[in-house]
Amino acid sequence: MTFGHLTPNAVPRVLQDFLAIRRRPRAAAPPHAHDRVPDPHGEIRIGLGSCCVARGSRAVKDALDRAVDGLGIPITVKRVGCVGMCHQTPLLEVIAPGAAPFFYAQVRAEDAEAIVRRHFEPKGVLRKARAVVSRALDRLLTDEAWTPPERFALDTGAQPVAAFLGPQRQIATERRGQLDPLDIDEYRRGGGFEALNRCVTGMQPDAIIEAVTRSGLRGRGGAGFPTGAKWRLVGNAPGERKYIVCNGDEGDPGAFMDRMLLESYPYRVIEGMTIAAFAAGAREGYFYIRAEYPLAVERMRAALERCRERGLLGERILGTDFSLKLAIMEGAGAFVCGEETALMASIEGGRGMPRLRPPYPARHGLWGLPTLINNVETYALVPWIMRNGAEAFAALGTARSAGTKVFALAGKVLRGGLIEVPMGVTIRRIVEEIGGGVAPGRTFKAVQIGGPSGGCIPAALGDTPVDYEALTAAGAIMGSGGMVVLDDTDCMVDIARYFLEFTQDQSCGRCTFCRIGTRRMLETLTRICEGKGTAADLPELEELAGMVKRGSLCGLGKTAPNPVLTTLKYFRHEYEAHLAGRCPAGKCKALITYSITDDCIGCTRCAQRCPAGAILMQPYEKHTIDVAACIRCGTCLSVCPADAVRVQ
Amino acid sequence: MNVRLLIDNREVEVPRGATLLDAARKLGIPVPTLCHVEGLPPSTSCMVCVVKIKGRDAFVPSCGMQAEEGMQVESETEEVRAARTAAIELLLSDHVGDCAAPCHALCPARMEIPRMLRQIAAGAYGDAIATVKRDIALPATLGRICPAPCEKGCRRAANDAAVSICLLKRFVADIDLASGAPYRPDCAPASGKKVAVIGAGPAGLAAAYHLLQAGHACTLFDAQGAPGGMLRQKIEPARLPPAVLDAEIARITELGAEIVANTRVGADVSFAELRGRFDAVLVAAGELPADAIAAFGLPFGAHGILADKKTFATSEAGVFAAGGVLRPLHMAVRAVADGKEAARGIDRFLTGRRTMAHDERFSTHIGKLKEGEIAAFLTGASPAPRVEPAGDGMTPEEAAADARRCLRCDCRKPHDCALRRLADAYGARAHRYKIERRTFVQLRRPGLIYEPGKCILCGICIAIAEEAREPLGLAFIGRGFNVRVGAPFNAALAEALTTVAGRCVEACPTAALAYDTE
Repeated sequence: MTFGHLTPNAVPRVLQDFLAIRRRPRAAAPPHAHDRVPDPHGEIRIGLGSCCVARGSRAVKDALDRAVDGLGIPITVKRVGCVGMCHQTPLLEVIAPGAAPFFYAQVRAEDAEAIVRRHFEPKGVLRKARAVVSRALDRLLTDEAWTPPERFALDTGAQPVAAFLGPQRQIATERRGQLDPLDIDEYRRGGGFEALNRCVTGMQPDAIIEAVTRSGLRGRGGAGFPTGAKWRLVGNAPGERKYIVCNGDEGDPGAFMDRMLLESYPYRVIEGMTIAAFAAGAREGYFYIRAEYPLAVERMRAALERCRERGLLGERILGTDFSLKLAIMEGAGAFVCGEETALMASIEGGRGMPRLRPPYPARHGLWGLPTLINNVETYALVPWIMRNGAEAFAALGTARSAGTKVFALAGKVLRGGLIEVPMGVTIRRIVEEIGGGVAPGRTFKAVQIGGPSGGCIPAALGDTPVDYEALTAAGAIMGSGGMVVLDDTDCMVDIARYFLEFTQDQSCGRCTFCRIGTRRMLETLTRICEGKGTAADLPELEELAGMVKRGSLCGLGKTAPNPVLTTLKYFRHEYEAHLAGRCPAGKCKALITYSITDDCIGCTRCAQRCPAGAILMQPYEKHTIDVAACIRCGTCLSVCPADAVRVQ
Repeated sequence: MNVRLLIDNREVEVPRGATLLDAARKLGIPVPTLCHVEGLPPSTSCMVCVVKIKGRDAFVPSCGMQAEEGMQVESETEEVRAARTAAIELLLSDHVGDCAAPCHALCPARMEIPRMLRQIAAGAYGDAIATVKRDIALPATLGRICPAPCEKGCRRAANDAAVSICLLKRFVADIDLASGAPYRPDCAPASGKKVAVIGAGPAGLAAAYHLLQAGHACTLFDAQGAPGGMLRQKIEPARLPPAVLDAEIARITELGAEIVANTRVGADVSFAELRGRFDAVLVAAGELPADAIAAFGLPFGAHGILADKKTFATSEAGVFAAGGVLRPLHMAVRAVADGKEAARGIDRFLTGRRTMAHDERFSTHIGKLKEGEIAAFLTGASPAPRVEPAGDGMTPEEAAADARRCLRCDCRKPHDCALRRLADAYGARAHRYKIERRTFVQLRRPGLIYEPGKCILCGICIAIAEEAREPLGLAFIGRGFNVRVGAPFNAALAEALTTVAGRCVEACPTAALAYDTE
């Protein structure tokens, strides 16, 4: 609902509307777990981040709870944060007394009991007997062979896992897969809040800023502004009252680094942010988290509450004179609110629309007061820096890009997930070692970095290091951390079109170049994908892209042409092929035809499944596709057992 | 405290806090704006005021960017003008509206037909004839014989039938001629210049009519015994009674035109002599055989004498040509239009002043209507069918009834639209981008029209309503390309703008917000 500006008379109406929305039924929040100490009998850890839950982890956790209860084994089934190996979830880690940790990947709820039994002895003779009988019964009652749990066992020493973890370095994701996200004592036992304690009780703000500056930390939201310099600008800005904001409005399609950090390490983000507030002189602030991240909001809310209970937030933090009030502001899901001026407008209650900078938030931020805005990941790195020293952080990475960066690795790699790598690692290592490369028979073509604001780096430039300047020079940006791997079945024109469709839809609509310019670019790309492009389209697209890039008001518009400009730069031949009526990747429906080769064995599978009835049912004869009726859905291609469907 | 900076290499000093736009205006540099209103916070939305700051690649909106000491700013460079033109052309690519109604655009004489229709509907016949005769010298005549290309474009035809434009024009012209005090245009003081017009047909008569208004003396030479040319010779008196033609020609002679009848140029008086005696000569002798054309000694082609399409000048200095002598004509209105345009060319030759022709102005066209769009246009128009007059010509009741059928599809601010002015100033192309056009929408409040398709999202009306503490006001709604200005809670326009509707209409840079009256 759009409320417009607010006058006293309009308040009741707005409230009424707002309450009506609030009254709609919501899912009940689960009771929060108790703080625990490690269980000496052993424990089973299971990741319960949003994406793990989406892959069925909640059901597995429930099954584990039942199995442990049923067997009377006094072990703990522990909820932990994101494990990073999204391709392997639901993922279990079994810690049995006296044994090395053991991993199970892609676990199903029905496997839970078998796994528990394999590592832990049921208590009591009766239960043992019953277990044996039930196992026997299971075997009798099902004609399928019992699946041994070994099938899912994942050896951390084995090659794929070592390759996945090898090049990684965990700082923002320190103790990944071990911490209960909301267990504040566990976080403290691992050195949590040590950095905060050291900063507020023993350091001057200047010294902290000095350390952060020396560490070489730069903003992880994408633009890479030196963090120490930003803190100093806010610190030096005139005025008593200053704000601090954590930008958790992550909106790039396919990117979920911030959500993972907020869900898995809420205390780490709070600690980093509190240190920043102390250094920059802010006494009040907000977490701006999109409402589409309900679990992140829930955990941050609980974590903030526990910090307040422990005197780590609120009045007189850790007994000092320093006080900090932090609240959560839920974003309404506008991509553009990730832009800092739009984000502030949104917090102030206005429409999330960016404004011209300068003035920058450091001088003129929330309600016109100096405001420090950093990204979730930036704050999450701060405690490590203050604990281990600026030099240790600066030693990681490259000369101008220090430390690590978290990426959401996705696309055509064998092992996708959330990874944290030291700066300077090459794109090729990420794709081939961590990601395990593309599927057999396919060719690695490009990496799309930075989502809709980023660009495509071709495989030929795979040795480009993860480094702010190197990525910008290649036409992409570091961005917030989306990394999508593309292979030879991906059409680069279609990829550019996809991202532009997103940005033109998410523009705030304020400035001409972004609102209309991106739309006109999209229309041109759509024409090209539909085979209606002309030779004049490419230079015109390039010219308009340049105008949108240089003329738009905020970062959204200024970066929106990047996917188009980089693909035009590195994959111009694909655009030209489209103009000539061909889609080399076989993706653009208007430009491809399906046909059946002589390899056809006449099995009729394709004919049975074709939703358009374009293949005649002729058993034991070579099938043919009626091109006029074909809707190019690719079903025949995927069901053909003889690989006899050709796309041209 | 002041800051000093350079704009286009000229130094200027402005108070701290002033914008680059303030600084440029202080220097008299014409930075265009659309979304900027003095006194309101910068909207930085239209981007037509962009400038470039030395050392930066991006363009910045000068209305919002504060001047800083030592800045070097570029404004009137090719690069900056290209960016401004791109912004204007992008806005135009999303502008759902016609600067001129199709009837107006299709009339060879570019008569402002919708205006005439509204004046007739209001019974303001005096105003209506002034509108007609600004562009058409012989409306009573044309009202009887014109094939009415204007009616072919009438949007009303998509619903039932075109407005009866031609007959309505005849109606006002007949009333005027019968009024006893027919319309007489104001004439500029005598310029002392004399023009010879060869041929007193529709082109020559029209040229004389407009030249006389510009203050130039006119003498028309005609081979026949009575003026009128083809109008008198080729059209049967039943269709065009000679009395009507005579009455309209009399309106021209009373402005001071001298008609020399029975005088064939080349035989009774030489062309060279005319060129010597007059400051300019217009050849408007109608369609002539090849040897007669050759006799003028002017360059000619297969169809007739060769002349510039805009100024109607031949290659001989001071000699102009218009009408059928240039190429075969199928409509008398074409000759009348030629006469008007040639008069403009001659005036420019004689005085050096340059007046812009109607069709030289920038104009957008939405083209053919999409399925169902006609409904939005029909809301304000009379639903009655096209009037078929009972007698010869229309009665006042019939005229009013038919004039009220006009859909009012022309722009309500054709002269005040800032976007159109800018498009003219920057030579913008209306259809630079191939696009999927938005659907035409029209929202009404008594006295107020809102056409979202013409809105450039400058936000001025939103700011005005907010500043005036309108109880509801307006807001940006939606996201991306689909952002629109509208009333919150899907409220009606009347509820959103209770006190400041007028201010919003005045401030709206386009015709998105307009009064629902003339």
